[in-house]
Amino acid sequence: MRITRAFLLLVAVALAIYLSMDINAIALWAAEQQRSFQNQMAGAVRLLKAGDPGAYSALLGATLAYGFVHALGPGHGKYLIGGVGLGTSVPAVRLLGIAMISSLAQALWAILLVFGGFALLQATASQVTFLAESVLAPVSYLAIASVGLILIWRGLHAIVQPKAPAHSHSECSCHAHGPDPSEVAAVQSVRDVVVLVASIAVRPCTGAVFMPVIAWQMDIKLAGAVAVIVMGLGTAALTSLVAVSSIAARSAVGPIRAGLFYLSSAQVIAGAVILLSSLSLLGFAT
Amino acid sequence: MIVTAMIRFFVACLAGIVLTKQAEAHPHIFVDGGVSFQLSGAAQLDALNVTWRYDAFGTLYLLSTYGLSLNTEGDLDKEDWQELIRRRSDWPANFRGSTHLTVNGAPVALDRPTDFEARLVDGRLEVTFVRPLKTPVDIQGAEAEVAFYEATYFYAFSVTDTPQLIGDTVDCAAEVALFTPAAKDAELLVTLAKLGREETSGLRNVGSNFADRIVLTCG
Repeated sequence: MRITRAFLLLVAVALAIYLSMDINAIALWAAEQQRSFQNQMAGAVRLLKAGDPGAYSALLGATLAYGFVHALGPGHGKYLIGGVGLGTSVPAVRLLGIAMISSLAQALWAILLVFGGFALLQATASQVTFLAESVLAPVSYLAIASVGLILIWRGLHAIVQPKAPAHSHSECSCHAHGPDPSEVAAVQSVRDVVVLVASIAVRPCTGAVFMPVIAWQMDIKLAGAVAVIVMGLGTAALTSLVAVSSIAARSAVGPIRAGLFYLSSAQVIAGAVILLSSLSLLGFAT
Repeated sequence: MIVTAMIRFFVACLAGIVLTKQAEAHPHIFVDGGVSFQLSGAAQLDALNVTWRYDAFGTLYLLSTYGLSLNTEGDLDKEDWQELIRRRSDWPANFRGSTHLTVNGAPVALDRPTDFEARLVDGRLEVTFVRPLKTPVDIQGAEAEVAFYEATYFYAFSVTDTPQLIGDTVDCAAEVALFTPAAKDAELLVTLAKLGREETSGLRNVGSNFADRIVLTCG
């Protein structure tokens, strides 16, 4: 009975997060903030070019704030992080680490893509932007959709074919034999972590592409690179919030020791939410 | 087996998306501005005067894409201005100029831009140009409408300037109708989200439904 209640609550929380993230008002507000911080970034870049010493801190302050509000918009793996946090028993520290590392990796990838593309391949700014917008963005969404599928697959597999116990409990009678629910938890291996990080980081956000493009052209490359990393920290702050909230929500609805069915089903639901959200970003579903 | 199938599915989807450019899009460069009307005779519409004012960050990005950079005074050097005007007025053949004119709902063709000018205003690039109508239209008793939007939504256009009537403007009046999203209209939101994928046949005219527009009536 308790498990059913907890399960329903989890579904409600997942649904609430899913729906609330879609509300246009937040997106519009975020877009306005983004625009205002973008203008501050531009002002700071002009001052930096003019040799104003205070421009550096103004630039970094604006990019930090920009990274945070920009991450409220589509992408950046919020659904992925939130879904994994809710649907699996990934430890808080690990999920927080994934959130931080993926945002920073995304920033470093943007710098590498722009500076590397310009220096080594003589790419044009438009080509790099096209790559980020029209190639890497769908790659990221598809990768995230695949993670959703894997979560569904693992969850269903655990429900249909419970694993035989890996070790003998004959010496104790403290609990019934059966699969340890914690074994259902995803994100146990390094490979899982790498897949999660890569699926988010492969797509640099456009602001993080614009910044090094401008910095390269205006010959303030170091400032541009530092600004993008600070932007990544701003993004990391938001995705970390999502990570912490999702784990808090999970802890509120039920302890990890809950039954196998509950854990597996939660994983299936989380996978489905991740899958649907990434497919809707791709335009396959609404 | 399943892994192979998934990889194939993945690659097929990816190819489809890249080829049809259906990636999700949200605005990255914000453009303010507006349109004024050149009229002659009783109520003949001859040309549109268009103003685009890019946001400050978008300005720096655009300049960078042209290989241009602000000098220490925050301005462009003289030869850079010439290069900018040359690059900015060289439109791709399929570019309609984000200014969509209709008279009584029927599209009216515009010529390529003339009288191209550019300046920096508080760090924002402002460009102005004239789009003559291919054939001037008599709009006496009719309604001319300019929708101010760009199909891919990479640029978000807003009408911020009051439209002017230039020439013989006896009985004409121009009004701005701003697009205001209703925050709770789910269907609208879904369509808005698809604005970036206007190529999709079912959504061909969606962009115009969400654009700021200017309505000109005469008589």
